[in-house]
Amino acid sequence: MQKWGMVIDLDRCAGCQTCTVACRTENNVPFCGDGNAWKGRAIFWNKVITVRIESHGSQREGEPSASPGTNNHAGPRLRFLPMPCMHCERPPCVLVCPVRATTKSVDGIVMQVPSRCIGCRLCQASCPYSRRYFNWQEVDYPGTLKEAVNPDVSIRTLGVIEKCTLCVHRLQKAREQARDENREIREDEYVPACVEACPAKARTFGDLNNPDHAVAKLARSPRAFRLLEELGTFPQVSYLHESTWKSESRKSVGAEDEEEIDG
Amino acid sequence: MGDRDISVYLRPLLRTTWKAYALLAVALAGACWYFYGAFIYQFFHGHRVTGQGTHGAMWGTIVANIVQLIGVSHVGIAISATVRILQLKRYQQLARIAEFVTLVSLTAAVCNIAGDVGRPDRFLYNVVMHGNFTAPFVWSATVITNYLVGSCVYLYLAMRRDIYLCSRVLTRRRWLYRALALGYSDTPEERENLERTVWWCAVIILPIMVSVHSVYGWVFGLQPGRPGWFNPFQAPYFVLGAIVTGFSGVVAVVAIIRRIYRWEQFFPNRLFKGLGVFLGFVTLLYLYFLFSEVLTGLYASPEAERGVFHDLLFGRFSWIAWTATVGGMIVPFWVLFVQGANPKIQSMKIVVVGAVPIFFAMWGWRYLITVPSFFHPHIPYKLAEYSPTLFDWSLVLATYCFAIFFYTALVKLLPILELPEHFVPARPVRPPRIRLATMRGLGFFKRATISFTLASGIGLIAYGIHSRFDVLTPAPAIWISGIVCLWTIPLQVCLIPGFPSRRHMLAHRARQEPALLRPPRPLVTAVGLAERSSSPAIESWVDRHQRAHRGIRRRARMRVWA
Ligand code: SF4
Ligand code: SF4
Repeated sequence: MQKWGMVIDLDRCAGCQTCTVACRTENNVPFCGDGNAWKGRAIFWNKVITVRIESHGSQREGEPSASPGTNNHAGPRLRFLPMPCMHCERPPCVLVCPVRATTKSVDGIVMQVPSRCIGCRLCQASCPYSRRYFNWQEVDYPGTLKEAVNPDVSIRTLGVIEKCTLCVHRLQKAREQARDENREIREDEYVPACVEACPAKARTFGDLNNPDHAVAKLARSPRAFRLLEELGTFPQVSYLHESTWKSESRKSVGAEDEEEIDG
Repeated sequence: MGDRDISVYLRPLLRTTWKAYALLAVALAGACWYFYGAFIYQFFHGHRVTGQGTHGAMWGTIVANIVQLIGVSHVGIAISATVRILQLKRYQQLARIAEFVTLVSLTAAVCNIAGDVGRPDRFLYNVVMHGNFTAPFVWSATVITNYLVGSCVYLYLAMRRDIYLCSRVLTRRRWLYRALALGYSDTPEERENLERTVWWCAVIILPIMVSVHSVYGWVFGLQPGRPGWFNPFQAPYFVLGAIVTGFSGVVAVVAIIRRIYRWEQFFPNRLFKGLGVFLGFVTLLYLYFLFSEVLTGLYASPEAERGVFHDLLFGRFSWIAWTATVGGMIVPFWVLFVQGANPKIQSMKIVVVGAVPIFFAMWGWRYLITVPSFFHPHIPYKLAEYSPTLFDWSLVLATYCFAIFFYTALVKLLPILELPEHFVPARPVRPPRIRLATMRGLGFFKRATISFTLASGIGLIAYGIHSRFDVLTPAPAIWISGIVCLWTIPLQVCLIPGFPSRRHMLAHRARQEPALLRPPRPLVTAVGLAERSSSPAIESWVDRHQRAHRGIRRRARMRVWA
């Protein structure tokens, strides 16, 4: 069985938010309007957040110095951090969901069933990466966006949670195609929208169980790290970066632009 | 409590002033607003009408209120069960008042939970039919059902004799009490049976009560994803918090009731002083827990954790934290301490002055447990401030209106004081005459149904737990039905007549056999029983038989003399 996973190269990411937009259109992510955006109710299945890193303190005593050229300047720097759902191998959100509205599928995708969800927001509270979004208001597709709704993805209602599904509808399509033609699913057949859209090719997607696949190799590379590894959630999304990013990011303050995107 | 007049005990049932109706009306209006606001307005407009948000506080005042209400519900049964198990006669009249508090606040808490979830229409059905074994929410649904059903059974059984007396002495709503008494007729066996069953219910319900609040601790304490929550200490901490909250709530309720019904003789200042001492003690203990938690959070904890506690003590939540702790805990503690340590002071007012701020301070701390953690997520998102809207506050207030309405209705419908043993109605209900053979049959039937219920209850629970990972089986529905099944056992014990007792046999034989053939010994036993028992009620019951026997005996004696 496959274990779908993703590797995101932070050194390649340009912060262009193409993945964010691709994800929104692919998955019919609703808009929330101005009044709700500043209340923190905008929905982003995938989002590039901007993180300010204070460079002092990134190297502690006794720590081996990071690769040359990354840590030497003084003053804060900005970093882009694309955030999809991490599809944790031990997802706390699945543990706490009282109605099995979110489950871990056999091929490693953390699924969300909005029609089952009761909207208790326990999963939201338990996700260490805050990757779950509640529908605080009626869905809204302003202007011509109504006509651009993707028929493959169901529209969520008021009062339920939604989140990144690694574009599982694409997997279903590919799988059916393969079944029709009586063969195994090819890896390049199934790619989520964000991976497809990334102009900098920062994202690599594929089967982590296939050791020959690029994604598995990258995930094992010495540059790879995963967010909040100490929590033991074992994310299936890893990042690549040339420095001790993890310890730095803790010191950071978010600086984001939700309203502009969401307007 | 040497009051011999039953009307004193039944004061709320005898007379209802316009003030009570006015209170009921206002509270009902508030309750209606709650149901409209939470289930209709919020349902159609979404939770955006509250102040919550994804990157911000995803839980707010209502969750704080749920925790508070569950805490209040905690103590009602705790007081009543403790009074019963330890036979604390002085606090006996507190029991029912406290039990009503439990019932009311638990119902209000469930209403709050249903209003807080995004889809109340699916909420109950999905949790019961598709419940996930690993989810603390499902545990809480289980323990709350267990607690609610258990406390209803317990409350009913403990009240059954008083309801029966109401049906005999009151003229209004007699049909209601007669229906509620379910055939109770206050024979010595019935009463003994009832008392024994209630005692066992009290023993069983105490651990259940602890489980309810522990589960609420775990809802928070099992989440490593939120700094400030993940804490093995959370369950006992919540239980202690519940005791503090509940005690302060009960003190306020008892004070109001004493004031309205002028029941100084049942709730003397001395009793309040006792409650105050205990409340002061648990508040001190809570402060100690709090200190330990904050110290751990501030000392050398992980950074995000430290952020939460720093925010709590010195940041944007500091004004709530300091006001609640100093004004709502430390000062009230000293107030209660001064009264407790000084043998000359005994005052209800002082205890109430101590208890009310504690209640509000605990609400503040519930809020501080829930909200600040959301403002220190592990990943640095931009966060929206949380300011509860008017709608949020109105829901909180309306919940208490609902509670007040429910409570007043209970006080006005059911006897809230325990009627002492020496009250016996002038014309007691005659226990139905059942033939001896029928009684034997019923005895077997009772044993059979009880064993069957026991077996099926345990079986259902076991099957539910066994099939917990089976997606197609509604496992929680199964184990919850098992629990409800088990809770019918005390009802069966009290409601179904059992095997004929010794006294029945005697009475039966006295009716059946010709007087001259009566063996003398059982007669002596019956008379002896009556003489030995000091309880006037039992005497009055045995009286009639005794009179019959005495006649028989006299005749027998006369025969000997002749
Ligand atoms: S990142 Fe959050 S939502 Fe995604 S699987 Fe992990 S815990 Fe669940
Ligand atoms: S909000 Fe929905 S998906 Fe999340 S825990 Fe509750 S029921 Fe499950």
